[in-house]
Amino acid sequence: MEAQEMETSPAVKNGDRRELLSGRTIGLIISAVVLFSILAWQSNSFLSGYTMFVVSRQVSFYVLIALSQAFCLVIGQMSLAIGAIGSITTVVLGICLDNLGLSPWLAVPVAIGVGIIAGGINGLLITRLKIDSFIITLSMMFIYMGLRSGISGGSPYKVPESFSFIGQKSVFGVPFVFIITILFLIAVGYMYRNTVLGRRMLATGGNAAAARLSGINTDGMVVAAHILSGAFASLAAVLWASKLGSAAPETGDDWLIISFAVAIIGGTGLNGGIISALGIFMGAAIFMLIKHGLVEVKANPYYANSFLGMLILVAIVVDRVREIYSEKKRTR
Amino acid sequence: MLELKSISKSFPGVRALENISLRFEPGEIHALVGENGAGKSTLIKIITGIYQPDEGEIFFDNERLNFRNYHDSLAKGIDIVNQEIQVIPDSTIAENIMLDKMITVGGTGIIKWKAVNSVAKRYLDMVGMTLSPNTVTRELSAAQKQLVQIAKALAANARVLLLDEPTSSLTGHEAGNLFRILRELKSKGVTIIFVSHKFEEVFAICDKVSVLRDGRHVGTKQIAELNTPELIRMMIGRDVTQEHLGKLDVDRGHEVLRVDHAVRKGRANDVSFSLYEGEILGFYGLVGAGRTELARIIIGEDKLDSGALFIRGIPARINSVGGALYRHRIGYVTENRKEEGLLLQSPVCTNVTITVWPLIRNTWTRLISRTKEVSITRGMMEAMNIRTTGPNQTTGDLSGGNQQKICISKWLAADCDILIVDEPTVGVDIGAKEQIHQLIWDLAKKQRKAVILISSDMPEIIRVASRILVFKDHRIVGEIPDVDSSNRTYGEVSGKIGQFLH
Repeated sequence: MEAQEMETSPAVKNGDRRELLSGRTIGLIISAVVLFSILAWQSNSFLSGYTMFVVSRQVSFYVLIALSQAFCLVIGQMSLAIGAIGSITTVVLGICLDNLGLSPWLAVPVAIGVGIIAGGINGLLITRLKIDSFIITLSMMFIYMGLRSGISGGSPYKVPESFSFIGQKSVFGVPFVFIITILFLIAVGYMYRNTVLGRRMLATGGNAAAARLSGINTDGMVVAAHILSGAFASLAAVLWASKLGSAAPETGDDWLIISFAVAIIGGTGLNGGIISALGIFMGAAIFMLIKHGLVEVKANPYYANSFLGMLILVAIVVDRVREIYSEKKRTR
Repeated sequence: MLELKSISKSFPGVRALENISLRFEPGEIHALVGENGAGKSTLIKIITGIYQPDEGEIFFDNERLNFRNYHDSLAKGIDIVNQEIQVIPDSTIAENIMLDKMITVGGTGIIKWKAVNSVAKRYLDMVGMTLSPNTVTRELSAAQKQLVQIAKALAANARVLLLDEPTSSLTGHEAGNLFRILRELKSKGVTIIFVSHKFEEVFAICDKVSVLRDGRHVGTKQIAELNTPELIRMMIGRDVTQEHLGKLDVDRGHEVLRVDHAVRKGRANDVSFSLYEGEILGFYGLVGAGRTELARIIIGEDKLDSGALFIRGIPARINSVGGALYRHRIGYVTENRKEEGLLLQSPVCTNVTITVWPLIRNTWTRLISRTKEVSITRGMMEAMNIRTTGPNQTTGDLSGGNQQKICISKWLAADCDILIVDEPTVGVDIGAKEQIHQLIWDLAKKQRKAVILISSDMPEIIRVASRILVFKDHRIVGEIPDVDSSNRTYGEVSGKIGQFLH
């Protein structure tokens, strides 16, 4: 559904114009607005500048992590390694800044490079060995997690004050992290809608055989998707270290579930070929608002994961019901 | 006797069946024919309990049936053998046949394998299979799997057997074997309902034929009272000619493709031929004879062990479909449009322009031009008479004929001048089939394209091609030139093809 939305342009005349927003995305927006209103009404501090700052910055991280997963989902695969890539990135970043004393201007590109290389390795192993992405990224996840523990010994690295600026400061109350994320999100939306690379990745996920037999280098698209995934995992890790003011090796340990949850709630098709940038943003917002709401109503935090699990389940069930309904309308 | 009385069925927006009354007698093979969308599938699903009719009743031996699901119909001895062959691949033949009637030791749940296998063997004998009941089903050919399905139906004591396009994946020999078994079943009093697109089969094996059109029952006739043109007229409501579309202007001086002693183990066994500008070269043969295999070598999906390809006289090494397309302007319309040809969930414009995205980018922004995308799609829709609600309609919602035209159009959008079209009219209505034939012919005649037409449909290939190569066992066993010449008759060409295949 979202894939069609992506192709839509106001330039199309006639009666065949599709809605710019699919019904699903509208549903997400409404849910987010309702949740937001409830929180704003029930809580005294929710609308305060500080809470908004914290919430919007946290949403940004959810978006980046979900995008990292969504790149893989779009081509019909997955990556279990994104948290581990974030973790190893953090360690490399810490070594560069703390042990080697490099400037952030040098350390950050090196750190992002780690994600690009790790993603590239995933993609190449999957395409060359023709092994399922699940197995490959599962193995790589453990390899990276072992490396980061071995190298770091578990203790955090110090980062310079200048590096923490981006993650901790804001302009007119809008966190820099949020601004960066929105720019990347728009770029990703544009990529899938309007660039050859994005279109070809969508086609690969939609029907890999048909894409290949239409002249698309589908193996290349798989590698590209995993590289993008790794790069975004590293970006999230770098910004997280900046936010924390230290490079903590345990970064990324809770990303796996968050990445699937936000991507799925945001309407990314689990079988590939479908993504909506706006949907992912809304997915991240809903995820954050519910988490925040649970704190506000003083829900027992030990149960928090159960609520999030139910949220994912509801999102999947809603999608399935819509699918069955549209199939019924179609078949004769 | 199975009797349908005034069956009607609607789906949202569609009247699928309208007041259908039919009778199926014991010991008859009754063909059910009609174009795609005529309502055959819906009717089959109602007979087998998968759908329930909105109105009307079904009687079986004067008992009113009220099926809620497929199991109810099985219990009454009504079974279906599907297009999509339904066996459990990792189980043995015996397990498949005896699945729901395993013989156990005094009801303990412990299976008596010897007894199970010997009972299964009895049913295998009935369908003429000599394989051991212990064979794992995965290893069987499509024809053998189908026979297993029939054996299973017999084991379930089926008195009505529905066969939905049973020969679509069978070779001629295998189909012949199936027909022999059907005749035997018929002599034992089984009612056989035979759904098929292939008229030869309907005439070869059926006693009666009932025709559906637009959800209505057009008529039921004894086969002896009918001929093919009459049957087609009943199906589509008008006449269709079978004559050749006309002489093509083949330019023998312009060789666009030459395959020279192509060898690929198990796929191509020393194949050589040339293709010329303005030609439609037919590849005739049975499924698995090496035609699609050869096409996939030409487009770079498969490699050559030895031999060479020449494109416009120059030796070419093609490693990918992208290479074939962008360097040599070769396009390949796949035989399974749903599995390998189309992005079904994407809009029409995506499928038409998928081959030209790199070429329609804005010079400055490097973004795909939406305007060009739409205008190319509209151009193709008009040129090829593709009926949609617009460039943004979801491709999966279109009819088979329109989908096939989209598969062809993406190569035309990329300006391919060598086009390989693989089984272009499988699962396409007769009306759309004619249009596709004309379209392919026009490509060669008017646009001077060189076309390879792969088809197992003899009338089709004789009607459209200008020269036919006959394939068998991964090699070319015969060549029939000048098929488009006016002094060739259908009988002459089909006779020659038959000779080459023997």
